[in-house]
Amino acid sequence: MDATLTIWSKHMLKFWRNREESLGLALQSLLWVVLFGVGMRAMLGELTGGDYMSFVVPGIIALSALSGAVAGGTVLLDERLRGIVKEYLAAPIPRLSILLGNAASTTTKALLQALIILIVGAAMGARLTLNPLGWLGAFVLMVLFSLGFAALALAVAARTSSMMGYHGLIFLLNLPVLFASNALYPLAVLPTWMQVVTLLNPTTYAIDGLRGAAFGADGTIPYWICLLVLLAFTSLSVWLALIAFRKVTR
Amino acid sequence: MSQPTDAIRARGLVKRYGEVTAVDGLDLGVARGVICALLGPNGAGKTTTINILTTLTRPDAGTASVAGFDVVKQANEVRQRIGVTFQDIVLDPDLTGRQVLDVHARLYRIGREERKRRMAELVALVQLEGALDRLVKTYSGGMKRRLELARGLMTSPEVLFLDEPTQGLDPQNRVGIWEYIRDLRARQGLSLLLTTHYMDEAEALADQVGIVDQGRLVAQGTPQSLVAELGADVIRIAGSGDSSHLVAQLGDLPFVDKVSHRPEAGLIQIGVDNGSRRLAEVVTLASGNGYLIEDIAVARPSLGDVFLKYTGRALRDE
Repeated sequence: MDATLTIWSKHMLKFWRNREESLGLALQSLLWVVLFGVGMRAMLGELTGGDYMSFVVPGIIALSALSGAVAGGTVLLDERLRGIVKEYLAAPIPRLSILLGNAASTTTKALLQALIILIVGAAMGARLTLNPLGWLGAFVLMVLFSLGFAALALAVAARTSSMMGYHGLIFLLNLPVLFASNALYPLAVLPTWMQVVTLLNPTTYAIDGLRGAAFGADGTIPYWICLLVLLAFTSLSVWLALIAFRKVTR
Repeated sequence: MSQPTDAIRARGLVKRYGEVTAVDGLDLGVARGVICALLGPNGAGKTTTINILTTLTRPDAGTASVAGFDVVKQANEVRQRIGVTFQDIVLDPDLTGRQVLDVHARLYRIGREERKRRMAELVALVQLEGALDRLVKTYSGGMKRRLELARGLMTSPEVLFLDEPTQGLDPQNRVGIWEYIRDLRARQGLSLLLTTHYMDEAEALADQVGIVDQGRLVAQGTPQSLVAELGADVIRIAGSGDSSHLVAQLGDLPFVDKVSHRPEAGLIQIGVDNGSRRLAEVVTLASGNGYLIEDIAVARPSLGDVFLKYTGRALRDE
């Protein structure tokens, strides 16, 4: 636990120091809500009864968590390529803490970004719930979702030997995962085959649960199912990442 | 020579990477409080050996213990008792020197007060006081090495491993690092294993030298005893012509200890009891065998000559 915390705090330190990264992240969130959200609302306003912002903010949060996970993988890959991971490996710490420290810092950044998106989204007209339990529920989902994809990215980062290879493999994690979900369009309007695809995608459960918990929307899927699916997904990802990591370090 | 209390003890270590056998039955014993240098060319298996001893790599065969603990079965016990600097500089460029040392010590669960105390002491030792709050990416190569040395010592290790500690440094910085390492000798109980392909480095630092070639330890001893085995002096001749008869005849002479021969370079190295007295005899013998001497020198033998004796190659031929 100590080692996880140490690695987490080191990454956060680097994150604050690196102004391009921290400011870039904030600006990215802002632009997504303002440009994408407002633009889509203008087009779809009439179709969705005017509350597209409440609908799309959870999707934008998921998107930022996905790109955050990709960036989190590059942190590990960079430390691997520089040999810094050897410092951890020669230290009396569990191998798992190296992964958890990485995933924790990625998740923290994603949560910070989610906070900005929520604030900007609310300012642009998204109707947030006032129920603190809803907030807690949303928080749990965001942590699980971000942790799960961070671990997947770490699994890839543990195995690839170059930045190029990493980005080639990781491309799958980003936009396709987003498009094959309910982030930008409601489940109900999709053709059946695409509904099946989206229901296999954990992103769908994160977003649907988030809409229900934080925005009081009528969830298509019950919250407890979203929670279970994400729990299973995150455990599986962390397990995969640990296997990938073990293989490389021996 | 090997007791259970040895700092390092390795028996029959083997490590293969696919077709390549990096370490091929290596034995090593280093007593506590001793500085041991593994000397060998690049690719001899020095770094793989260090990786096994520091628990980064599992050996395919053989056993090793460090500070009395098995590197495979008791890896965590070993990790608590060692410090390492790697062959490449392994530092986070976006942290300050202070943060590098602090993060490292926190990984070993060293308390805040203790971290402060050790940092002050070590930073003074490696003379980085003025640069401690600067980002590592602004450091020179020598400063980075000194910071790594301090980092390896932050956890008060019983055994310190330094893999090529002065590689890529200019001569002035190398001598500086040597001084820091010699200072460490004063610390009680610290044992040190370093690898190098610089002869002068091994001679300057080590109480004990192990010569590594093709994944094996081919000789081990104090630099003085290894050199003394060669004889009192070495006569080196370079030339052309048929050298095989000459080498055979030289080997039969009573005052010759050892003849090393590198036909491809036209070099013959003869260990003798007294160089200047035997010079004339060697020259006579050479002309009698139709060997044309182009250059001849008498020298006190060095570790380089020891290396040539055990491996048949000069350290620089890689």
